[in-house]
Amino acid sequence: MTTRNTYDGTRAVVIDPSVALRLRRAGHDTGTVLWRDMIRTTRQPEMLVFAVVMGVFFLVLFNYVFGGAIGAGTGYDYLQYLLPGVLVITALQGAQQTSMGLAADFSEGVNDRFRSLPMNQSAVIAGRTIADALRNIAGLILVAVIGMLMGFRFASFGGAVAAIALATGIGYGFSWLGAAIAAKVRQSDMVGMLSMFWLFPLMLASTAFAPVESMPGWLQPFATYQPISVASDAVRGLVNGMPVGDTITLTLAWIAVLLFVFVPMSVHLYRKVD
Amino acid sequence: MRTSDAVIAVQHLRKSFGSVEAVKDVSFEVGPGQVLGLLGPNGAGKTTTINMVSTLLKIDGGEATVGGFDVRTQPEVVRQLIGVAGQSAAVDEKLTARENLELFGRLYKIPRGKRSARIEELIKQLDLGAFADRPASTYSGGERRRLDVVAALVADPPAVFLDEPTTGLDPRSRSELWGTVRSLASNGVAIVLSTQYLEEADRLADEILVIDRGEIVAQGTPETLKQDLERDVLEIQVGDRNGFERARELLGPDANPATDAETLRIDIPVHGGADRSLALLRQLQDGGVSISNFQLRQPTLDDVFLALTGPSSMEAEEITT
Repeated sequence: MTTRNTYDGTRAVVIDPSVALRLRRAGHDTGTVLWRDMIRTTRQPEMLVFAVVMGVFFLVLFNYVFGGAIGAGTGYDYLQYLLPGVLVITALQGAQQTSMGLAADFSEGVNDRFRSLPMNQSAVIAGRTIADALRNIAGLILVAVIGMLMGFRFASFGGAVAAIALATGIGYGFSWLGAAIAAKVRQSDMVGMLSMFWLFPLMLASTAFAPVESMPGWLQPFATYQPISVASDAVRGLVNGMPVGDTITLTLAWIAVLLFVFVPMSVHLYRKVD
Repeated sequence: MRTSDAVIAVQHLRKSFGSVEAVKDVSFEVGPGQVLGLLGPNGAGKTTTINMVSTLLKIDGGEATVGGFDVRTQPEVVRQLIGVAGQSAAVDEKLTARENLELFGRLYKIPRGKRSARIEELIKQLDLGAFADRPASTYSGGERRRLDVVAALVADPPAVFLDEPTTGLDPRSRSELWGTVRSLASNGVAIVLSTQYLEEADRLADEILVIDRGEIVAQGTPETLKQDLERDVLEIQVGDRNGFERARELLGPDANPATDAETLRIDIPVHGGADRSLALLRQLQDGGVSISNFQLRQPTLDDVFLALTGPSSMEAEEITT
């Protein structure tokens, strides 16, 4: 039960909130931070552009420049192979913005304000990751539309929805990795640099752009089972109406692992004070 | 749990960053309606002290309570009782003033009905109306700082921490903020205000803590601090640059560090009143310094501050102001 006490006879303060009240407040705080981050998103439409620009860049570049060379090894139209990978990469870009946004809150001193408030501190990250996931959905739809203008065809509407959901999911998992980095280093420029360390190897040593058979043998095990690859393979199966094998299961497993590791880690790092 | 009427009570507070002792032994109490001024140069430990008491920084040693609640063991209760503004806690630049206040009001768990009334009241009271619906990134320094302070007041907290609220403000914005602080105090809020400006501490604070290198070097009302320095100040206006350098040479350590090469003004603390002043003036004249003007005056808080903290701190302050 909630204990209320008035320390000076005029003011009620919550001293020992029940678990139920704590949870309700955590939900309220997460919703509030989400509301704030959504306002920020609408005030900065350029963020949405940044979120999709790399995906579009890869889509155009790889399709028209390398399409012939890489496509020969895939056995079917390269755009049909490429777009699913680009969707996953786009979701990853969105995850990087979680990192950047949280780091900016540290540099601007907004997080210090949040710290001084009677709120659930995890809500600051939780709200932001949800806002970023919502923006990610918008970005993914945008990339899909651009792909369709280039000649891409979804096998089914249901497959398209499932693919975007799965890409958003893996992006959400990586959002928490990004949050952990930001909560640790707390500086925008450092966060930007550190993101490159996980983003680029995962992105390029994956099946997002080229099939694993085209890679050297020693790289193949990593490139087959790392999260970007299994997510790309799963999304590719879904949009092309082809068998997905165990790739959806593996993707969901990766999302679970990312959340299991990085949710507690980022919350711990965020709450840590000198 | 309460030992006195103090809203904010701090005892023997300590904090180290690595081998640097940022705060060594700071104690104070602030009652309802009182303003405590933390006065000191940059890096003296003012922000560190405020951050510890307002739950933003871990306390290494000593105790701090707000409303009788221990900052270390019950930070979640303390956060319901405090508002923080200034260097340490900013507002969201992309949001308007109204949205910022709504955000913090929600997080303070002010019920919906009361919340919008409270926000309108604050906007009106602090004259934010003109820019309430523009994003904070478009504000002037003064508008921004006012929103910072107002954001700390959303929940009508009994204890407010203002960390250098007027640093970098123009005189008009500064005096407006002073008005805000005074009206807060008259409403019974306990306020801790840090500042580098002696005038500000003099005007606002009921009690001043002069901090230098993490330690309290003086404590008292503005009046007692000035009285404690039982000496007058001889202010000498020198005619030219050469004379100024010559005078500094002749006076050596007697000259106050506030001595200003730009305006060729030299301040000399004097204990013996008129006799000592005349002797000093004669010494300068004999040394070939042309004096264009002089006066013997009561010490200001500036003089107290310099006497207490010494020249090296003054240099640190000059860099930042």
